[in-house]
Amino acid sequence: MTATSAPEGITDLSLDRELPTLGADPTQRRRGLRSAELWVQISLFAIGLLVSLPILVAIFTSFTPLPRILADANSIWTPPWTFDNYVTAWTATPFGRFMFNSFAQTGIITLATVLTSIFAGYAFAMFRFPGRNAAFAVVLGSLMVPFELTFIPNFVLISDLGWANTFRGLTVPFLANAFGIFLLRQFFLVLPKDLHDAAKIDGASDWYYLWKVAVPLSKGAISALTIFSFLGAWNQYLWPLIITNDESMRTAQIGIRFFLINQEAAINWGAIMAGATIVMLPTLAVFLVAQRQLVKGLAMSGLKG
Amino acid sequence: MATTSVTPIRAGDATARRRRRRAEGLKAYTYLLPALIVLGVFVYYPIIESFRLSLNRVAPFGAAEIFLGFGHYERLLTSSEFWNNVSVSLWFMVGTVPVGIGLAVAVALLLSYPVSRMSWAHRTLIFVPVIISSAIAGVLFRWLYNPVIGHINTWLEVIGIDGPNWLTSRRWALFAVTVAVVWRQLGFNVIIALAGLQQIDDSYYEAAKVDGASAGQRIRHITLPLLSPTLFFLVVVNVIFSLQAFGEIDILTQGGPGQATENLVYSVFVDGFVGTRFRGLASAQAFLLALMIVGVSFLQFRGFRKKVHYQ
Repeated sequence: MTATSAPEGITDLSLDRELPTLGADPTQRRRGLRSAELWVQISLFAIGLLVSLPILVAIFTSFTPLPRILADANSIWTPPWTFDNYVTAWTATPFGRFMFNSFAQTGIITLATVLTSIFAGYAFAMFRFPGRNAAFAVVLGSLMVPFELTFIPNFVLISDLGWANTFRGLTVPFLANAFGIFLLRQFFLVLPKDLHDAAKIDGASDWYYLWKVAVPLSKGAISALTIFSFLGAWNQYLWPLIITNDESMRTAQIGIRFFLINQEAAINWGAIMAGATIVMLPTLAVFLVAQRQLVKGLAMSGLKG
Repeated sequence: MATTSVTPIRAGDATARRRRRRAEGLKAYTYLLPALIVLGVFVYYPIIESFRLSLNRVAPFGAAEIFLGFGHYERLLTSSEFWNNVSVSLWFMVGTVPVGIGLAVAVALLLSYPVSRMSWAHRTLIFVPVIISSAIAGVLFRWLYNPVIGHINTWLEVIGIDGPNWLTSRRWALFAVTVAVVWRQLGFNVIIALAGLQQIDDSYYEAAKVDGASAGQRIRHITLPLLSPTLFFLVVVNVIFSLQAFGEIDILTQGGPGQATENLVYSVFVDGFVGTRFRGLASAQAFLLALMIVGVSFLQFRGFRKKVHYQ
């Protein structure tokens, strides 16, 4: 944790950190609290299992043959397991296409959000220009505008442009957001001024300084923003639901909705859970790989509040 | 003599500086342009457009508009359907916010208990709902709530309880949706609460210990007051989230049975996008909903700060 660590005493929630003791005596920690500690560890594990139970049920159900699911819900915990449900889900509905759409939509939104946030954050942090405060107020003010207020006019606008059922329609309204701009501005602001001066004396342009100094030093913030944008875009629901009605343009979230709702009476829960697992997989992978940055980034947003 | 030789230099300096300033201003706005265009077109313009739509009756299929003035608002405020949606939104808020935050703080307190080795598994299992979408939360719980073969009723049967048909029962549907949303929010809430707990300096606890305060007293008189900025943030964010709940409702109940789980957002969606579309009426509801949400987020910036303890 060198230049990438967060500014202003942001809590480090990393796992190896010495935890606060809530006033427990450190010597006691080694002796008397042994049994209490065991109890805490056990209850935390139990809580963890309970919290992740809906996900575990989905994953186990997705591997259990349908007749066994229908006969006894609890049979999912024991083998034999199978990939049949995945085959069914993948062939009964164009899941491959949905996943491709989601990856494309998420990729475009994430990349664009990071870029627009880098540019705007840099401008607010590094340049003095007329109207800076007003422009910053405009950016921050957009945080107060709920999506519910804007989505009908945006739908009308995008439809009038003929962008319904296109990647433009899915992504264009989300190519920039105030959170990213604010986050990166904060990071660029705390970069040492000497660095900037030194670069200027050496004749470096702003563009060079941005990409060779500011961005590499803000890797932590930029990766946090990337993770947030990815999760946010991948998990979008209301907008892709209304802006696509062509099956081939549905995102994975919308695909699974119709896959479920269209199976009126006899729902194939094995296939549904296989679909749900497929849709969760990318975000689960991100969570397992980047848990530390994700948690730290979220914690930061809370402490900033 | 001296002055004449100095002035031209100064003047030249000033124009150079002005030119440099203008160049910097131009450069700054070039960097800002993409973001400002997106926010202008898709956040600010729609505010005005939404209000304009709400004052007009928009033909369901086509562009014809009739000016109504505040007709939609009058109609809404006197319709029992609208007040039903408001009450669903508010009950939903009452059901999710205190329980969600209470659970999160309790779990965070446990997680910050002094242990010799923190298990990676605990945190992973507890934080994981943070990555779940509203759609997936809806799908997972729809399976769990299945009245015949779902896990919840299967397990209830084990302890001798005949579980209801959760999602089609007027009595239980809103509760069922509430549980799904509390679950999805839990990971986020625990992370924020834990971060808040870790901000509290250990010296407060040491001092209290010296004074002979019990663990319960320490939590009540030190932890909770010093956690209040975090708690306040959590309340505001969760109230806003609860007013915006949509995905779980759409997948679990689609607003039913009857309109027992139709909150304001769902009603905006139904009026604006399902069957015969009433975009003007939907916009009016969206506007009233937005007023509620903006009102709550405004609290975050003002007033309340005074009631919150900072270290």
